[in-house]
Amino acid sequence: MFKGAFSIWGRDMLVLRRSIFSELLAVVAYPLTLYLAFGFGLKGYITDVGGVPYPLFIAPGLISMTAVNAAFDDSSWSMWFHRRVQRTIEEYRVTPVTVYDIVIGKIFSGFTQGAIKGSVVFLVILLLTPFRIDYSHLPAYLMCIGISSMTFSCLGTICGTVIDKPENIGRVQSVVIVPLIFMAGIFFPLTSYPATVLPVIRLLPTTAVFEGSRDALLFGSIPSHYFINLVLSAAVCFVLAVYTFNRKMAE
Amino acid sequence: MPQAITLNEITKSYSGVKAVDRFSLGVERGTVFGLLGPNGAGKTTLIKILTTLMRPTLGDAFVEGFSVLSAGKEVRRLIGVVPQENNLDRYLTARENLILHGRLHGMRPAAYNPRIDELLEMTGLASRQHDFPDTFSGGMQRRLVVARALVHEPRVLFLDEPTTGLDPQSRRALWDHIRGLRRSMTVFLTTHYMDEADALCDRIMIMDHGVSLADGTAPELKDAFSRAHIYQVEFRADHSKYEAMLAGLPFVRSVERTGATFQITLTGEEAIKPLMDSLAGADIRRICLKEPTLEDVFISLTGAKVRE
Repeated sequence: MFKGAFSIWGRDMLVLRRSIFSELLAVVAYPLTLYLAFGFGLKGYITDVGGVPYPLFIAPGLISMTAVNAAFDDSSWSMWFHRRVQRTIEEYRVTPVTVYDIVIGKIFSGFTQGAIKGSVVFLVILLLTPFRIDYSHLPAYLMCIGISSMTFSCLGTICGTVIDKPENIGRVQSVVIVPLIFMAGIFFPLTSYPATVLPVIRLLPTTAVFEGSRDALLFGSIPSHYFINLVLSAAVCFVLAVYTFNRKMAE
Repeated sequence: MPQAITLNEITKSYSGVKAVDRFSLGVERGTVFGLLGPNGAGKTTLIKILTTLMRPTLGDAFVEGFSVLSAGKEVRRLIGVVPQENNLDRYLTARENLILHGRLHGMRPAAYNPRIDELLEMTGLASRQHDFPDTFSGGMQRRLVVARALVHEPRVLFLDEPTTGLDPQSRRALWDHIRGLRRSMTVFLTTHYMDEADALCDRIMIMDHGVSLADGTAPELKDAFSRAHIYQVEFRADHSKYEAMLAGLPFVRSVERTGATFQITLTGEEAIKPLMDSLAGADIRRICLKEPTLEDVFISLTGAKVRE
């Protein structure tokens, strides 16, 4: 079962391995710049947030942001490219693999890319900055990154499946993904929001990703409401991605 | 002989327009079957239905006895597909493209590696197996797509316009590969090229507007459409004076001149006698009945008008 998904995932990992250095360089540069610019640039103005030093406050979110962005990017562009440009999805579909194999293989590729890239950014921040953590908190944090990458990989797969024009994938990123990420409190505490807006913000899946990952890394546990949000979002997005792909292929 | 492919009253409609209309067909195992038709005739729709990429609106089709509707996975296990466009993975080398195909068919390395060696040798790509398809010529890419379709040793091979866009040498090389497959598997081929169908196919069907117009071997089709009323006449001298004379004869439908040679289309077979009477005394080098080509048959069935 899912041998086809594993073969498709294996193909994507082979391609990733070939370009891993250039990929990682590009992926590390952006969050590291943000970390240096905000973490150090604003350190003199914002000493701490709720008792947490500001560079430490933003680091978990930046790492998670790298992971989820990578998961979304890879899934959406890969699915679009294989479907519209290379038409390799059609080649997969005339073999005995099912559409479930294809979509699950692609989702796992996005998830793996997100997890790898997030982990590398984590290591780079750890190496190049004074950012330090309690390593016993790492499993909870990695779990948080893993579930979040899965959610965003599914969202990317949905976009790559339904969007035919490449510029529209960029638009979804600018109009939906980036605002969702930046509204979720990577750079500021959620308490900055007016009390009327706060309950809505707390329900966003991205809030669960960034607040949950911060709590996981700094305190070693994910608050239960964020954990439920993360798992539910991943499950719903997974079902939606599989359903959407299946529908598209049946057209 | 048992049938490898059976189509039962297949209909496919797109927004009310019928691309294929109650199409039935049986293709004998081990033969090369050619489906000819102009653009939009319904050929690719039929291939997509037979390869389970598309579901028919009505009817069912069977490949080696398996229904495309209810046993798609079994059908896909038995078929190889060469699509119209080269859908190779440009981020994988030639060999990796074939390996991925083998894996998608559930093959183990011990099974696919020797087979891939054999296919790369057969298609003349062994020395380029570690190169990426983007660096290949169109003909090489096409051969790689054919090799990929054969990795799992399919029982039925579908080729959708396999030589479109290739130079004559590449076309001939691909024909040789396809000829080599004859008898070992059933080949279902669509093409625009009449010479290709003539050279490769044991049986040809001409279709248009989603329905079959003619079906048979190439000689059968030519015989059926031979009306014995197109003649070629070559004059030794004074050819110019014959053009107006021939065009003015009531039983001549049209005259086409190429140098000293005239192609005369008569209104019917009975017009040959008055034509000979009219040409009595003319200095004729050669007169012959023009045998119809497959292209003549095709054009007479589907019309000469260009399709979008």
